[in-house]
Amino acid sequence: MGLVNTMNIQILLNQHAHGHLVGSRMAAAPLREELEIALAQQGAEVVLDFSGITATQSFVDELVGVLVLRHGPDVLGRIIFKGCSDDVRAIIEFVAADRCDQFIKNHAH
Amino acid sequence: MEVDASRLVFADPFGMALLAATFHKVREQNGFVRVHHLNAKLSGYLQRMDVFEGVELVGCAPMQGQRHDRADALMEVTRLEQQSDIGNAAYRLTTALVGQMPVMNRDEQPDEMSGYTESDRLAEPIQYALNELLENALTHARRAGYINACVWLSSQYYPSNGLIRVGVVDNGCGFLATLRGHTALHQETHLAAILAALQPRVSCNRDLGLRSDSVNQGVGLTTTRRIAERAGGRLYIASGDAIHSDSASSHLANGAYWQGVAIALECKRQKLPEVRFRDLLPPVEPQLAVRLRFQ
Ligand SMILES: Nc1ncnc2c1ncn2[C@@H]1O[C@H](COP(=O)(O)OP(=O)(O)OP(=O)(O)O)[C@@H](O)[C@H]1O
Ligand SMILES: [Mg+2]
Repeated sequence: MGLVNTMNIQILLNQHAHGHLVGSRMAAAPLREELEIALAQQGAEVVLDFSGITATQSFVDELVGVLVLRHGPDVLGRIIFKGCSDDVRAIIEFVAADRCDQFIKNHAH
Repeated sequence: MEVDASRLVFADPFGMALLAATFHKVREQNGFVRVHHLNAKLSGYLQRMDVFEGVELVGCAPMQGQRHDRADALMEVTRLEQQSDIGNAAYRLTTALVGQMPVMNRDEQPDEMSGYTESDRLAEPIQYALNELLENALTHARRAGYINACVWLSSQYYPSNGLIRVGVVDNGCGFLATLRGHTALHQETHLAAILAALQPRVSCNRDLGLRSDSVNQGVGLTTTRRIAERAGGRLYIASGDAIHSDSASSHLANGAYWQGVAIALECKRQKLPEVRFRDLLPPVEPQLAVRLRFQ
């Protein structure tokens, strides 16, 4: 048949917020594990929905930065960032750039 | 330990958190703490703030009224030991603090675009900073073997000048112990370690080691300092024998030493809504920008 039933998941971060903020690394780590399980399937994509909230850089790093360190920059192509405010967008861009750079340097030799 | 408090006239959140942490330490070593001659006004305030848990007060006025007589406007000194409590504690403290501040309309409907009220905008920078500071306090010392490290938290809004003060004090290992051997540490001193920790991307734990189950980016403290500055204030950071703020660095007076990290964050209510996290991040060189899928 050749048809693979891929599981696309969506994570609503406002369900993990205190007020309007997701902050601690400890809260992000289990969500990253969920992402890793989903992304282990070929072709799967995940949606991270930041609607209505702000995230700390630590939280975003634990969720996305650590994923890049472990699996490489290509993993970012399979993540859709939804509902980001300008602040959240800037934080994600910072974390992604910093950790991709680090990954590439670590694997350069 | 006998404490003569007869000359104590004022205690801010930094001082209260330090006192609570110190009393805890003495009691942990099976000591007792007796505080003498505390004036009545301070005694009532400090008791309501829970600074004196397990402490005997001698010759001080007994506490008047209920401890939580202004529960929505006052947050007692709080001790945290679980990482899982960080998010909630930062939220609770910030909500209590904003509850003390003047806002135009407490029942304001959230802005349609952002979903935020004025209170939310006041709360957010402080809540962000607290998350970063509490996380540091409850992770770095433990990774360095101080498994019982915990953190004290205290805050106050001063309506007369619109200042906010927050104290975050831990009894861990301090900056020097976690950053020893780091290339950014130019001298093996507590002051050099504080200055190194304030630089972006300096962390005791930035690389994914072979067996490492955790990793950091080295940015939380840098951003926290920038939040305070942008909000018209600053951080005061004490660790070991050193204290640093943007106006001065020095050794603690009279040979004093803090075993751990003690941070005071000061800022202005008026300036909080101006804080934009996107302006506070370390710069990224353009050639390093990566393509991301935003929706
Ligand atoms: N409370 C603390 N006790 C001991 N060391 C600390 C403490 N806070 C910070 N440090 C030291 O200072 C360094 C820099 O702190 P900072 O918050 O900037 O980065 P991080 O915590 O390593 O990473 P991130 O905040 O991005 O997760 C830490 O890596 C650690 O070595
Ligand atoms: Mg940190």
